Amino acid sequence: MSHAAPVSENSAGEYALSFKDLQVTFETSGPEVHAVKGLSLSVRPGEVVALVGESGSGKSVTSTAAMGLLPSNASVTGEAKVGNVNVVGLDQGKMRKMRATDIAMVFQEPMTALNPVLTIERQLTEALELHGIAYGRAATERAVELLTLVGIPDPAKRIKQYPHQFSGGQRQRIVIAMAISCDPKVIIADEPTTALDVTVQAEILDLLRELKDRLNTGILLITHNMGVVADMADQVAVMFQGNLVETGSVDQVLLHPQHEYTQRLLAAVPKLSSAHVDEIARHAEENAAKGRELVLEAKDLVLEYDMRGTKFRAVEGVSFDVAKGEVIGIVGESGSGKSTIAKAVIGLLPVAGGSLEINGQNLPKLSPREARAVRRKIGVIFQDPAASLNPRFPIGECITEPMVVHKEGTKASRIKRAEELLDAVKLPRNVINRYPHELSGGQRQRVCIARALTLSPELLIADEPTSALDVSVQAVVLEMLQELQRDFNFACLFVSHDLAVVDMLADHVVVMQSGKAVEQGLVKTVLHNPQHDYTRRLLAAAPVPDPHEQAVRREAWRALNSGK
Amino acid sequence: MSNTNEKAPENLTSIAEVEDAKLAATTEQSKSQSRIVLERFLRHKPAMVSAVVLVLVTLLAFTSIGFGPVPGWWKQSYLDAGSVVNGGKPTFSLLPTWLGGSGIAWGDHPFGQDSVGKDYFALVMNGTQKSIIIGVVVGLVGTFLGAVIGAVAGYFRGWVDEVLMRITDLFIVIPLLVLAAVLGQIAGRGSTSIIALAVVLGLVTWTGLARLVRGEILSLREREYVSAAQAMGSRTSRVIFKHLLPNTIGVIVVNATFAIAGAILLESSLSFLGFGVQQPESSLGLLISQYQNAFLTRPWLFWWPGMTIVVIALAVNFLGDGLRDAFDPRQTGKRRRRRAGLFAMPTRKEKP
Amino acid sequence: MLKFILKRLGSAVGVLFAASLLLYVLVINSGDPLGDLRESNAKNREYLMQQRIDYMNLEQPWYLRYITWLGGVGRCFVGSCDLGKNVNGIEVTGLLANAASSTLRLVLLATIIAAILGIAIGVLTAVRQYSGLDYLVTFLTFLFFSLPVFWAAVLLKEYMAIGYNNWLEDPQISIGTSILIGVVVGLALQMLLAGSLKRRGLTFIITAVFVPLLLQYSVWLNFYRYPQMGPAILVVLTLLLALSATAMTVGLKEKKVLYPALITVVLVLGMYYATFWLLQDANTWLLVIGGALAVAVPALIGKFMGGRLSKAAASVSALVGFVGAGLTVLDHIFRAWPGFLDLKGRPIATIGSSTANLGGGYWDSFLDNATQLLLPTIVLAIISLASYSRYTRSSMLEVQQQDYIRTARSKGLSERTVIFRHAFRNALIPIATIAAFDFAGLIGGAVVTETVFGWKGMGDLFITGLHAIDPAPVMAFFLVTGTAAVLFNLLADIVYALLDPRIRV
Repeated sequence: MSHAAPVSENSAGEYALSFKDLQVTFETSGPEVHAVKGLSLSVRPGEVVALVGESGSGKSVTSTAAMGLLPSNASVTGEAKVGNVNVVGLDQGKMRKMRATDIAMVFQEPMTALNPVLTIERQLTEALELHGIAYGRAATERAVELLTLVGIPDPAKRIKQYPHQFSGGQRQRIVIAMAISCDPKVIIADEPTTALDVTVQAEILDLLRELKDRLNTGILLITHNMGVVADMADQVAVMFQGNLVETGSVDQVLLHPQHEYTQRLLAAVPKLSSAHVDEIARHAEENAAKGRELVLEAKDLVLEYDMRGTKFRAVEGVSFDVAKGEVIGIVGESGSGKSTIAKAVIGLLPVAGGSLEINGQNLPKLSPREARAVRRKIGVIFQDPAASLNPRFPIGECITEPMVVHKEGTKASRIKRAEELLDAVKLPRNVINRYPHELSGGQRQRVCIARALTLSPELLIADEPTSALDVSVQAVVLEMLQELQRDFNFACLFVSHDLAVVDMLADHVVVMQSGKAVEQGLVKTVLHNPQHDYTRRLLAAAPVPDPHEQAVRREAWRALNSGK
Repeated sequence: MSNTNEKAPENLTSIAEVEDAKLAATTEQSKSQSRIVLERFLRHKPAMVSAVVLVLVTLLAFTSIGFGPVPGWWKQSYLDAGSVVNGGKPTFSLLPTWLGGSGIAWGDHPFGQDSVGKDYFALVMNGTQKSIIIGVVVGLVGTFLGAVIGAVAGYFRGWVDEVLMRITDLFIVIPLLVLAAVLGQIAGRGSTSIIALAVVLGLVTWTGLARLVRGEILSLREREYVSAAQAMGSRTSRVIFKHLLPNTIGVIVVNATFAIAGAILLESSLSFLGFGVQQPESSLGLLISQYQNAFLTRPWLFWWPGMTIVVIALAVNFLGDGLRDAFDPRQTGKRRRRRAGLFAMPTRKEKP
Repeated sequence: MLKFILKRLGSAVGVLFAASLLLYVLVINSGDPLGDLRESNAKNREYLMQQRIDYMNLEQPWYLRYITWLGGVGRCFVGSCDLGKNVNGIEVTGLLANAASSTLRLVLLATIIAAILGIAIGVLTAVRQYSGLDYLVTFLTFLFFSLPVFWAAVLLKEYMAIGYNNWLEDPQISIGTSILIGVVVGLALQMLLAGSLKRRGLTFIITAVFVPLLLQYSVWLNFYRYPQMGPAILVVLTLLLALSATAMTVGLKEKKVLYPALITVVLVLGMYYATFWLLQDANTWLLVIGGALAVAVPALIGKFMGGRLSKAAASVSALVGFVGAGLTVLDHIFRAWPGFLDLKGRPIATIGSSTANLGGGYWDSFLDNATQLLLPTIVLAIISLASYSRYTRSSMLEVQQQDYIRTARSKGLSERTVIFRHAFRNALIPIATIAAFDFAGLIGGAVVTETVFGWKGMGDLFITGLHAIDPAPVMAFFLVTGTAAVLFNLLADIVYALLDPRIRV
């Protein structure tokens, strides 16, 4: 299947799903929120249309409107046709009959999308029985068939199990099985891979593509990930603040974007590219020339979680070091132990074995008082901007908290420092008296950066600092981090699942898989000339926002997988 | 959904820029969480009505017969017996004369007299004072213990937590009323002071709150701002008292009010059974216990103290409900909807 | 699963032991057991004091007394309990037997009623969030939360019992009253059934007309002294149930469900005649076995005839069978009522847990127990109902926000299936834990309620015991209620594990 292929002619004019001037407004306690402002779009059978946008763009509202699942405070006008039926204002009973048989949905969070107290069998067969496709034993047989189709091993036995006995990727496969169970004309996939690891994401995307070709179903793919768009989509529609700003074929939109927003969005996507290599290498060489002044050094680090008496070893025998002015990236998928390392350096997890030295002092051996003194030199940024600021503290207090904790400065000097730092992260000074809930995610993350820098740390720990942010916001934050790192010349431990981000930011990289470092070294060598199979798989699985390049990469990914 | 206020400039083409522009354009006063909660609370009508009722009842109880050495404006004492006038019927009346009533009158014995001629108004006011004191003291003691123990158990887990859970199990096995009755009898033997009884009740009513606070702390301590505070080297006490407990304030305040209502009812039950307030002091529960058989002959002796308990407990409970809605508006009783059908008010409509 | 239960049981026994020690120490230190005698002027004061010291082993130190008591309890395992003597030298074990059965019956009945009704109301108000019904129920639950148990009990006693008994002397309902009742019932019913304005209005009008007519008709029949049903009405009612249950579940077109339900109706009528003489003088076992058969047989019929809809068919038929059997029993109760009124002119009792020397047959003592239990059960159930409905409501609202509910809706399931199959089971999980605490609260409530209604139950044992600083009856009270609470808690744990597969597998 080629991406540039024109829309299949045989079904032209016959849409699986089409919107015409769709408008959605929500009544809230404040002013009305106009979430979708006149959207027109269509999906043909066997075609994938990607609806792209960042948070607040109205893309999820659009899909929910098509399913007729909007809350009661929403008012919808315009037209949303599933097949030939307009579902806007459709009677609930009729709408129900169309769900699953005409339009089905795959949700973002596989961990919560399945009912925890019902077996997979029950959850799969109920739609079949409801829509009269199969009953009793026949329904179970059909369900087993579906599970086989989506690649669940040993389906006849596993169908009796409950959702918590499956992994995240498998649960998403089950949700997909549910969505295709009644042969819908169109499937809405709302960020189907966002919560998954890259390698799992690649598998799920493969599955969706295969199913779509086999069943000739139209797919409305809602995503913020341009790589996924390049991998899957035939047509692309870009939404921004409730407006459709650009539509076209995947080649047109991704390679020759017309609208300024699309252009900037694509530019913001971090890419693994050679353009950066020289600069970073130069940066590293400059540092190396000055002589490496080690800030953090881990040797044969072993970390364990205590799960009610039984020890679970999360990190085993990892060694690395970071010198002043350097950035080390730690990459891996969930459960690889990358965040555990960050936790240990911060002092939230005791070191079970090996040494962890900060400025030459071995952290596990220090007294609490000495450890406090060492922590003064460490700044931290966490993943979730919504949870990393105390909601009861005004921003000024959040930023100056490290000074209060270490009893530094007077009230006036603390305020002055907060203002300096706000300038550094390009936030207006009057934010000092505002509260976290008044700021957006990106702004809060900038406040977190400011807080991390308050005591001019020698070491900055960043644990997935941008993975919860929109692409364009991520770009701003990353750029800011890079700039600050250059200005303040601190050492940085950067934990991320995104290889492209690490490539952009780090000098060295450690690739982790289930608690072990499988490959480490200079970013230039590791990410651009990977030796270990796992690193290769990771690199191949991450999609890039260029349909042609992505097609090549996908073949490489398949080759890697089939070789296994 | 984004909480868009429509001031955002239209020509920007990046989310980051839109957000920054909005932030720069915000002029409204920023509000702390407590302030937002307070505003929501003040808009909660049942809670506001309840607050007014509570204030009035408290004022009436404490000013009328006085408290301690301070004399009140009401002329009779709850200790003095006297001659029974008109069968002890209440002289309080709200029905105006033109409707056949005796006008709006207060009279000598607004709530009537008991069988030995004691002024029932003074007795009920005395009992009300006791109920309010019990409620407040138990609320304070129980809330303090519950919050601190719950926070410690949730933060340190381990054996502290284990002990807390076992104590909670204890209350499944020994009903609260039973334990309180035994302790009430012990407290009553030591002194006749109402405070002793209140403290004792406080000592047995903290477990519920402790469990709730523990659960809340267990989830809060995984939040990243707590990790951040620990990482920057904050002391444990700072983490607990600055970062954790203030964020459980909703649970604490709401449950403190429910605990107050519960304590008032518990005291009245104990006094009814004879393990609470002892004669010659009076309490609302004790009054009902004394006069439950006078229901047919002198119903007012039964109704006044009972209604007073219900009014106080109901008001406190509604206050708690208002607080809960204010702290956690997810399940708030207000739906933002078009008023349907008959009750629709005319509003100006424009084409969207 | 078994390991989980055994572990819970082990820790519960430990807690029970610790609690007994705590309670024992507290009780013996709560006053002077000889206090009343010290102040008495009786001539044989010294003798009485010595006698009491002997009864209560007061010359021994407290720990020996406790160990003696514990030893006596231990003997229960070999079938000869010895729970000590009370202040008057009476064996507590003997007092306990009667007290325990009446109190436990009361508490269990109140718990079951409160849990079933409370959960049903909670689900209903969660589904109809922000409706008039929701607001009304919310207000009522708050009112019930704020009611002192004893005060409510006295009110109920005065109005329900005495008022009803007086009215029953000559049951009349004036036209005005029946119209008023009709209007109130109509208002309540339209609130409950909800729907469009037209549907609500229709519900109201039909009820407001129908109910007063029914009331007047019943007065004309002298129904309240001579209630009657008979096979005709029984068949009509079960037939209506069979039709509506089929319509509600799968629709009347599904013959696979309708036929077994109709067959059950015929069976019910047959059994009515077949068991008529047997039930004239029934016993409890007969009722239990009959009830079980009335569920099992129709369920089997449904299962075999239902085909692909066997589950729905079995449950509809079982429901019809069960209700039919219940109506048959009700018919016999109606027949026994006039005779019962002759034995006991004022049926609703306000004192004691059963009437002494009542005489009469099975149905008379059945009615006697029921009328004695009625008011205390209502008082207890009302108070516990409030917390069940409140917790269920908020739990349901919480669950309805979950992603898997959205998934269920996106499959096209009807709202009813979404709520009962997907939301309800998840919402029940947290309620299982609350039930254990609620049970303890109910025992406390039972102590107060029994006092108001003058029962010589466990509450009386506890109160008089504590007043006399007499540990034996207090500890006997604790032993029964504590064990009951532990068992109930265990039951809650098992239900919890059954509901939540994450605990089980």
